[in-house]
Amino acid sequence: MSVSGNSKSTQFDLKTYWMTLISEINQKLDQAIPIQYPEEIYEAMRYSVLAKRTKRAPPVMCIAACELFGGNRLAAFPTACALEMVHAASLIHDDLPCMDDAPSRRGQPSNHAVYGVDKAILAGDALFPLGFRHIVSNTPSDLVPEPRLLRVIAEIARAVGSTGMAAGQFLDLEGSLNSAEFVQEKKYGEMGECSAVCGGLLAGAEDDEIQRLRRYGRAVGVLYKVIDDVLEAKSMSKEDEENEKKKAKSYVSLYGVEKAVEVAEELRTKAKKELDGFEKYGESVQPLYNFVDYAADRGFSVLELN
Amino acid sequence: QEEQNNPPPSFDFKSYMLQKANSINQALEAAIPIQEPAKIHESMRYSLLAGGKRVRPALCLAACELVGGNDSMAMPAACAVEMIHTMSLIHDDLPCMDNDDLRRGKPTNHIVFGEDVAVLAGDALLAFAFEHIAVSTLNVSSARIVRAVGELAKAIGAEGLVAGQVVDINSEGSSEVDLEKLEFIHIHKTAKLLEGAVVLGAILGGGTDEEVEKLRKYARGIGLLFQVVDDILDVTKSSQELGKTAGKDLVADKVTYPKLLGIEKSREFAEKLNKEAQEQLAGFDPEKAAPLIALANYIAYRQN
Repeated sequence: MSVSGNSKSTQFDLKTYWMTLISEINQKLDQAIPIQYPEEIYEAMRYSVLAKRTKRAPPVMCIAACELFGGNRLAAFPTACALEMVHAASLIHDDLPCMDDAPSRRGQPSNHAVYGVDKAILAGDALFPLGFRHIVSNTPSDLVPEPRLLRVIAEIARAVGSTGMAAGQFLDLEGSLNSAEFVQEKKYGEMGECSAVCGGLLAGAEDDEIQRLRRYGRAVGVLYKVIDDVLEAKSMSKEDEENEKKKAKSYVSLYGVEKAVEVAEELRTKAKKELDGFEKYGESVQPLYNFVDYAADRGFSVLELN
Repeated sequence: QEEQNNPPPSFDFKSYMLQKANSINQALEAAIPIQEPAKIHESMRYSLLAGGKRVRPALCLAACELVGGNDSMAMPAACAVEMIHTMSLIHDDLPCMDNDDLRRGKPTNHIVFGEDVAVLAGDALLAFAFEHIAVSTLNVSSARIVRAVGELAKAIGAEGLVAGQVVDINSEGSSEVDLEKLEFIHIHKTAKLLEGAVVLGAILGGGTDEEVEKLRKYARGIGLLFQVVDDILDVTKSSQELGKTAGKDLVADKVTYPKLLGIEKSREFAEKLNKEAQEQLAGFDPEKAAPLIALANYIAYRQN
């Protein structure tokens, strides 16, 4: 019996699961970046990493993927936090005036608007290595053997690097319409993919399982973004819509809401199909399964949880 | 120049560096091939392969050899250190930072590729440095590689390189920079990455904790030495001799060692740093230590 043909999501409460993890992750991130001399740089790093209204989706997906294979969540917390650090670094740099020139992020002024462009660049430059350092210094060595840690480090570096998120950002800036789907995949799918894969690697999953997580995570990451775009388009006035078309090239601005919703449904099916391969792990697949529905349906508001 | 600590006469520093720079350049060239999207990779390669003396990677390889390792163990780390160094230069040169148009006689990265690509190429080099160590290091236990990753991350983050850059930016045009602050800037901005290069080499080469710590002290010394000598050269040499604008620090009203201590005292300080650094090498086989001794002397007595 396949998981996707079955709606047994009733006994698992994603909202509680997520809420519990968010508060633990926030606490750990808070401890991971203590303020010291020169204070300003730590404040800039904390400003973005600890921003309110962050859903912590990458860490939650990483932990859920680790737990799928019976991994201890204590093994996954440092990597989960690192994902938030490198993600924040990418976003800080994406918002810079020479890039997307975004004045705000998550409802607060963007990093460079508060700390200046020079400090924003340096805050990003410091958050990337802090992520790697956090993993190697804090992952319990009795839970995760070193070869797995090295694979996790390589995976994160690849995801943010010149063929991953940096490539997505570059092609987005270049603005070629041919690459619009590729841009979405790279900018939004990469983080989902990397989060799921890291969780699997930490738990010692087999290579074919890692490949499944890769496809699953990528689909969920893009799905999440497509739905974001759809919701935004629906709540927008005509005037907003015109403005929006001039900047980002989302599925919605390319194909319209209807087709975007279709794409979303395809992604939902695709993601769940990948999870069918994890049948033998029984109920521990539920968080990942419910995550897909959350990305598509937004059954509750994660922001309330914060 | 007096050079009391000459390595054994059998050691030919010039050909040693030539040979190391060659193999480092080959490894760097192979590490980042052109792939899609081509422009980012061209931008990464433009700065990474722009020449440069390869002092940091050479230090990494020499430290590895000193503790009994060979080049294959430390080459990815040596390349990683050079990638980080390059990345910090790309970001440092940006208009919002030092706003430099020229680096090593060539237009800076953002002049050629644009600011957006320069930021991304820097980020990509930073990330790839870690990937390269994690994936390409051969014949070394995973435990040592993990340790090396941690050391590198510490050297370049908010407790290392970035701290130096932040304090440096905040000190610009300030008359309140004292010796302590100047030292903080140099130790973090310059010495931490040199320390990282040497310590990574020692860890990956299989050095004992005691050996690693001795080499760490050596590297800290020559890291600061590097900057003291830079400051001295800026006042005493012409632009032509330096291959970059001389007197830049004076024009920018930057606090330097000659300014705080005077030229003579700065030279004495440099001598002291060099001597103390080389003392850390006393317990090692003199023949194997020859490259690190010569590198220290090179940093102390270079003319540009």
